Amino acid sequence: MSLSTEPLAATGAAGAAKSAAPALAARTTGLRKVYGNTVAVDSVDLEVPQGAVLGLLGPNGSGKTTTIRMLLGLTRPSAGSVELLGVPMPDGADRALPHVGALVEGPGFHPFLSGRENLRRCAAAEPLLPTEGISRAVDGALERVGLGHAATRKYRGYSLGMKQRLGLAAALLVPRRLVVLDEPTNGLDPAGTREIRGVMAELHEAGTTVVVSSHLLAEVEATCTHVAVLHQGTAVAQGSLAQLLDGGTPTLTVSTEDVQLAVDTLRDNRIPYKSDVDGVRAELVSVTSQQVIEKLVLAGVGVREARRERTGLEELFARLTESDVREGS
Amino acid sequence: MTTASIASPDLLEKTPKAPLGRLLRSELRWVLRRPRTLAAFGVLALVPIGLGVLMSMLDIGGTPVVGGPPMLASLLGNGMVLPLAAMSMAMPLLLPMVISMTAADAIAGESSHGTLRGLLIAPIGRTRLVVVKTVGVAAVSAIAVAVLAVLGITAGVVFTGTTEFTSISGTALSFGEGAGRVGLAAAWVWLQMFAVAAIALALSSLTDHPLVVLAVMMGTLIVFAVLGGIADLSWLHPMLLTTGWMSLIDVIRDPMETAALTEGAARALCYIVIGLSATVARMATKDS
Repeated sequence: MSLSTEPLAATGAAGAAKSAAPALAARTTGLRKVYGNTVAVDSVDLEVPQGAVLGLLGPNGSGKTTTIRMLLGLTRPSAGSVELLGVPMPDGADRALPHVGALVEGPGFHPFLSGRENLRRCAAAEPLLPTEGISRAVDGALERVGLGHAATRKYRGYSLGMKQRLGLAAALLVPRRLVVLDEPTNGLDPAGTREIRGVMAELHEAGTTVVVSSHLLAEVEATCTHVAVLHQGTAVAQGSLAQLLDGGTPTLTVSTEDVQLAVDTLRDNRIPYKSDVDGVRAELVSVTSQQVIEKLVLAGVGVREARRERTGLEELFARLTESDVREGS
Repeated sequence: MTTASIASPDLLEKTPKAPLGRLLRSELRWVLRRPRTLAAFGVLALVPIGLGVLMSMLDIGGTPVVGGPPMLASLLGNGMVLPLAAMSMAMPLLLPMVISMTAADAIAGESSHGTLRGLLIAPIGRTRLVVVKTVGVAAVSAIAVAVLAVLGITAGVVFTGTTEFTSISGTALSFGEGAGRVGLAAAWVWLQMFAVAAIALALSSLTDHPLVVLAVMMGTLIVFAVLGGIADLSWLHPMLLTTGWMSLIDVIRDPMETAALTEGAARALCYIVIGLSATVARMATKDS
């Protein structure tokens, strides 16, 4: 489905004309937001490379949405600065935002209007959309998110997933340089989630930078090139997905009945570990898996099974936000 | 998405804007399609029609024993008083309620629906947003007053069966002159309602709850009316918007008495300037 109006002096791949230094689609420096006594976001230095799909990961209340709102100039930071497409925000909103599509804090539409009418209203406000192109852009966006069949139905009667799709459609009305999606898969069934991923992949392919927030790790791991993890308002990890995955410590999971003996052995050998009822997990910081197994077997531990596990983003996430996970469960 | 339509960086040097006419059309379409706006117009239409029916019933009974608003007494056989009566009856409560509701929905309502965010991200521009919203509310006010005036004249003519108008000073006016007077009265009422709208928009920009706007605005007008009735507070009266709303009847005196009307218009203009300035200032920094 083609949405593009006249190509806007287009270049193909993102950053093709750029110099060696990676250009940034967005950057925040020392970003801070205080609501009353609550510090929602504190000293967040976020860098969104051009053409990247950045996953903004964090548990509920970690400051993802507040960060996005400041990025889009909806909220003025208490301290720090935001640059969006090279323009300072919120003062440069008029210049940067026409090139930015966003779905923030869930879809917002009028219940008494149909999906198409709601979208027409959004389209009327889009600076880059020529008046004669509105109908085509609206219908195109509806088709693209799979709402073509429900275009004339009142928004009131939409399901949660359909509402979410309509919000996405509004972000896709115009070809964008940056698309910001706040929890886009909320309320979507697995098929809907796949479709959103498909749309994100298309955007990425077209060179659009995408910022997507989520509390679902699998989602980020599957679709993002870059990740920033927020925890209690601060960015605790940030980088390309590959970097973050490699950055974690691999572990060796050993299942055995002699847990106590295994624990003693690992401690004697100064190998960091975690234990549970049916085994231990040794962290392979300065030892190889062969060495660990050898030490355990020589100590007489009956090793039933040993498996080397690469640290997934999930484990990284769990470790970084461990306290929340425990509180939450 | 087939083409990689990434704007070149120099595009950011420009500040593209959606045409204002398109934004206004879109706003008017939205506000005039709202079921509650249409319902409000319907309720307003009942005022002149009801007055007309009442008038004909009094006529049939043949006993001009009329209590209530003094204006009703002169309704008998005089079509021109009907639109004026309709407007002055709707002015203290009904019209301000419709206007406040529209203004409340314009900013606070959009904010609570999450649709204000969409407009700001588009971006529509914060000052332009106030312009668009003001035009929308002004349009609803104009239509609301027009419903009263036009249906009032129509009902007046239908129920009295004559196109002759009589001023309340007793002189005869031609239909054209009479309609002109009613038009002037409508314009004056619209100006007063625009002042209500300006204050309601300022309130609307302060909250995310439309009902708060409605409650505060109606409360304010009631307090104004009470204060306006206390003679000891006469020094305060020139500052109250509602002062002089009763002078609407001056329009159909012959010759017209303009002093109170002019003063009322000037007062409304002051409220409009204050209300809209406050709205623009508030929207410039409002979190959304």
